[in-house]
This record gives sequence, structure tokens and C-alpha cells, in this order.
Amino acid sequence: MIEISGLVHVYPEGTRALDGVDLHVAPGEALAIVGQNGSGKSTLVRHLNGLLRPTAGTIRIDGRDAAERKVADLAAIVGLAFQDPDQQIFAGRVRAEVAFAPRNFGLRGAVLEAAVDEALAAVGLVEMADTNPYDLGYSRRKLLAIASVIAARTPVVVLDEPTTGQDLRGTSRVRRIVGDLAAQGRTVIAITHDMRFAAETFGRIVVMRDGRVVLDGAPTVVFAESAWPVLASTYLEPPLAARVGARLGVGTTPTEAALVAALARRD
Amino acid sequence: MLELRGVTYRYAGYARLVLHEVNLALRDGEIVGLIGGNDAGKSTICLVASGLAPASVGGELRGEVVIDGTPTTSLPVHALAERVVLAFQNPATQRSGVTATVFEEVALGPMNLGLPVPETIQRTRQALATLHLEHIADRDPTRLSGGQGQLVAIASLLAMRPRHVLLDEPTAQLDPEGSRLVAAALRDVAATGAALLVAEQKTDLLDGLCDRVVVVEEGRIALEGPTPDVLADERLESWGVEPPARVRISRALEGARLPTLHQLGWMP
Amino acid sequence: MAGGYLVPLGLVAIVLVSAAVAGILRRLVRLSVLLTLPIAISVVLVSALTRPGETVLFVIGPFDITLEGIDFAGQTLVRLFAISTAIGLFTLTTDPRAFVLDLERRGLSPRFAFVAAATIEAVPAMVSRAGVIAAAQRSRGLDTEGSVAARLRGILPLVGPVLLSSLTEVEERSLALEVRAFGRPGRRDLLWCPPDRPAERLVRWLLALALLGLVVARALGAWPPIP
Repeated sequence: MIEISGLVHVYPEGTRALDGVDLHVAPGEALAIVGQNGSGKSTLVRHLNGLLRPTAGTIRIDGRDAAERKVADLAAIVGLAFQDPDQQIFAGRVRAEVAFAPRNFGLRGAVLEAAVDEALAAVGLVEMADTNPYDLGYSRRKLLAIASVIAARTPVVVLDEPTTGQDLRGTSRVRRIVGDLAAQGRTVIAITHDMRFAAETFGRIVVMRDGRVVLDGAPTVVFAESAWPVLASTYLEPPLAARVGARLGVGTTPTEAALVAALARRD
Repeated sequence: MLELRGVTYRYAGYARLVLHEVNLALRDGEIVGLIGGNDAGKSTICLVASGLAPASVGGELRGEVVIDGTPTTSLPVHALAERVVLAFQNPATQRSGVTATVFEEVALGPMNLGLPVPETIQRTRQALATLHLEHIADRDPTRLSGGQGQLVAIASLLAMRPRHVLLDEPTAQLDPEGSRLVAAALRDVAATGAALLVAEQKTDLLDGLCDRVVVVEEGRIALEGPTPDVLADERLESWGVEPPARVRISRALEGARLPTLHQLGWMP
Repeated sequence: MAGGYLVPLGLVAIVLVSAAVAGILRRLVRLSVLLTLPIAISVVLVSALTRPGETVLFVIGPFDITLEGIDFAGQTLVRLFAISTAIGLFTLTTDPRAFVLDLERRGLSPRFAFVAAATIEAVPAMVSRAGVIAAAQRSRGLDTEGSVAARLRGILPLVGPVLLSSLTEVEERSLALEVRAFGRPGRRDLLWCPPDRPAERLVRWLLALALLGLVVARALGAWPPIP
């Protein structure tokens, strides 16, 4: 679905934000891209819908070279939900906001309404369909931003920091959304620096530092003790469950459930 | 000491009450954590306690806010600057935008208080030293990382030598490195003797920092008590708060009838 | 007639030489041309084509192009350039923060001084925010490269969030400033203000006297306006 080879991006003022990234994402995969601010995560995903163009290297989406295609075309394949909902919300009603993207891609009438209904249901905003977005709290506005991208029915959905600033209910909802999207066969990519969210929600984690991919694999690989020095070099810490499991010698346990299961097996 | 006594508040233009009969006390030298779901009222409590509500934000307040025995509800915010300050979550909007260096930025508060230049310089130097920011004193405030920006914002407030420092989710927009920087800085701030009220979603952060934790739900205080007790309370999730990792893992072990973390020999 | 050109051209020469010394000659010329060109074109055209005079040079349709008309246009043009280059020189060589601090030192209210300085800083922030908003909307399929109708439809999704997020940002900013005692009335003891050298003070006094002298000369008729 997505094939990135040797991607380099240098910003006009000289910052080398991407320094040779290789990434292959199969259709239907769910992966988290983690790293500190400045590691290149945001720069990378903005290449997926053409907002940024490579300085060097190639990027192919759905079999075609993305560098030639317009943003409007790529956006129909890769939906990108930005981190700050207030930088995209403009409609006076939740429903109208969610309808914006699918309408841009040509959906009309009953099909449009269905897409909007599905998206609202997926994020839990059905009862607020006629509310003004700014009468919703910040958590719900973030979910609204995600809904507005889901409604476009793109095969690939990219979420930029979906849990930052969210409370417990919001984070649980985001986890459910990712699961639902994956169940529909859509490719899901989330940028996050919440290690626990990454470990518990995704089957693959890509760790970035200084514009490069330094780790790429399942949580059991990325949070294995052998990988800790690499994580430390990016100032990231494995989730507590992994640290406890390693210290107690029961193997790599990226999630709390895995830790409990491993300890139960030991006894 | 900073107290909210029977505070009931609603924002201007809204009929709904956001705070109901809230009683909260922040004693000298204490570090208190404030937790709750996103719309529970944590930010509103911070705005009221700092005097910004209703003086700057408008709205209607019933009850009293008392700092060291003086009711502050009718005082303008600049009169409270040396008694209580409030740090917000966005480092960018807390920058004044009119200073060329971090030193000038931190000096802005004391300068606004009308202090003579030598006093301003002394307070600025001290605030920078407390947060270990001397090495970036000459940097352009717009060219700092998120975490550094927050530290400069906190230093700017510290330079006014406030007795009470309130922080509304100071790490919400920061990456893990930034959050770590701010958590360490909060300890440094507390070491100066100021009382701290920290509103946060990250209960792990509050776990090692606070003496006491207060839970807010729908504008009311749902629970308050010593940190270990509150963070281990089973109702936390129903109030929209994620317990710290340590607590979750302990519960999971208990549920599986496994030995406790401590028994397993795991020491944090 | 020549006298009407001498003074403005002399001024322009002084300004351009100062700009060259400050190393901003090209920027100044570009800025001045940009500032003056729209007005200049309309003024020159109108006066050249319609101003009455005795010496008709040539005729275009209903218009008599007179020597007096061209002369008036020319004099106005050089005056416009004298003004725009002088303003341009000031804008390009003055650090807005230093300027505002100096005004405060001389008695301007600190709040007004702040607003002036902050306004200058606010523009780049707004421009970058507008960029992010445009990116977010394009990611949802907003076509910014399409037909005129499509671009018109795109105005609300682009302008709406810019305005709303600017309002939110203004509120956050002002609360953060209030906490740092910005609202406090009274003077401040400034940490730093631009140094004032005796030579600069002398030049300022001379300029003030020259201005006074020009006003008096004009009032007494010693230096007539353009006929």
C-alpha cells in the first residue's frame, strides 16, 4: 500500500527533517510511529498525502508514485487527521463538519448521509450531531476531527497524536476507533508519543530519531530489553509493564495483560 | 494559604454552573494534585484560584477566594501577582512575544511590577537558577523546544516570587522528554517553598510529586486525600482518570491472584 | 521649475546614501517602489493627461498633454519618492522593540508600547497558523488549485478556523499576560533601552529645527508650493 524508499526531506530553511527513511506498509496494517518532537514523524506522514514532497527518495502509494500526484487526489486515499482540532473545525454543526471531507470527494445524497452516520457512530458523537462543535469539550472536538476524516472512507487513515490532551474516556474511545478501522480492513497509522497506547493498540511500532527509523517491529521486538539502549537514545522509555517483566525475568511483556499472563505461566 | 470557600461559578453567557460549592485549601509548602476528566472543572478551579475568573474572564462567582486571610475576589489580577500565579499548557501562547532573549522574557514579570532594575535582575537570575536555565538565558524564546518553552514560562512566573503556583496541565502538549523536564522543574519550584497546585491527566507524574490529590467530577470535589490512597481508589476510572501504571499493574496481578509487585521483588 | 525638483531629489539622494551605508539599498528601493508605484501611476497619468497648461506637446484623443502637466506629474513623483524612501529607511533600520521601549522611556504607557510591539510579532505567527489550517483542510479534500468557484467555496473552511483559532489564542495570550502583571498601571523601571548618543541627539534637534524652518519659510512664502 505504502512504499517509502530512502526518503529525504530538507525544509527550505535548511533543516534535514528526514534523513533516509525506508518504510513499507501493507494494506490493512495498523502501526504506530513514535519518537520525540523533532524526530521527523510529522514530516514523514505529510508526505503520504502530498502536503510535502520528497527532496530525495521515492514514495509510492497504492502502486503509483506519489510525488507526481496532487494533494486533492492523494487525500482521497490517505486521510490525515491533524493534532489540533481547532485548526480545522469551521462548521456550525457537528454533522456539517463531518460531511465536509466526503462531500469534497464527491459523495452525495444517501451515500453521504450514511458515511456521516457511520463516522459519528464510530467516535460516539451521534447524539451531538446537531451541536455546535465549540459547545463540545476539547476531547470531543478531537474525536470530531477524527470522525471528519473517517467519513471520507479513505483506505488509509493517519491520526496525528490522537491521544494527546485526551482524558481516559477519550483515549479508550480512540483505541476502539483504531480497532474498528482495522477490522474494516483500512490501513491505520498513528503518530504518538504515548508508549502504552502504542503497545496496547498496535501490532507494529516504528521508532524514529533524527529523521531516521531506528526500530521497526512488533511491540515484543521494540520493547525487548535488547532494544532499550536504542529507545534510551531517543529519550523514550518502554511501558512499565515491559520494564517489570524484564526485571522479573519473564521475557518481553509490552502490555499489562502480557505481563500478567507471563507471570501466571511462570507459576 | 490559598482557599476556595464554597465557590460556585458559571462562565459569562452560560447558564450551566461549572463549579458547585467547591472547598479547596492549598497550604504553604504543599504540593497538591488536581485530577478529573477533561470537562470536570480543573481548569475553572485554576482560573478562579488565580483570580482570573471572574476578574478577567467574566462570569458569576459565589463564595470566596481567600489568600493569606485576604479575600481576593474583587481584586484585579495584577494585584495578586506576588501571591498567586497560573501556568497554562501551551508554551507558545505564554510567551510575551516582545522579548529577544530568555533573560528578558523571565524579567518581564518583575519589571511589570514596577520593581527597580537591580531587584528585577536579581529575581530573574534566581528564577533561572532554580530551574537550571542559565545556559539558555541568551537564547531566542521562540527557538526553544516545547519542554524548554514551558520551563521558561514557569521561570517567568517564579520571577515574581509568588507564594502559590498553579499549573493547568503543564505537560499536556509536551513529548515525554518535555514532560520529564517539567516534572523535575516542579520539584525545584516546590523546593523554593511555594505551594503548588498541579492539574494533570498524567497520574504517573503526580504519583512521585504530590503530598495530596484532589479529584474533581462535574464541578464538585469527589475525593481528596494522601496521594497513594487517592491514586489507588477504585473509582478513579469512573471519574474519567487513568490510575498510574503501578496501580494498574498491581490490580492486574491481584486479579490474577499473583504475588504483589513488592513480593516479586520489584522495587520502583 | 527646476527648483521644484532640487529639494526632493536632494532628499532622496541623502536617504539613498544613508541606505547604502546601512547596507539596505536594494531592499529600500524595492520597498519604496512597491509603496509608491500604485499612487504614482495614477497621479502621473491623471496630471499628465488632464492638467491645463499653455505649451501643448502632443495630443492623444481628447487629451492635451501639456508641458505644465508633465512638469507637475514629475514634481509630484519625486516628492512621493522622497516621502516613501524616508519612511522606508525608518522602517528598515529601526528595531521595533527598541523603538517601542524608547517611547516608553519617554513616557508612552507600557500597555500601548506592548500592543505596538506585539502586533509586529503577531503577523508571522498568524501566517504560519494559516498555513497549517490550509494543510488540514487540503488533507480533507479541499481543492486549492481548482476553479474559481471551488476556491470561493474554500474561503469559509480556510478563513473560519484562522479567525476562531486567532480569537482563542488571543484569549490565552491575554490571560497569560495578566498573570504576569501586564495590567498594572504605572511606570516600569526598564531593564534596557536603546542608548542615546550625543551625536544622535544633535541630529534630532537639527532635524526638528529644519522642520520648523521649512514651515516658517512656507508660511512666509519664501518657498512656494507646486503651481
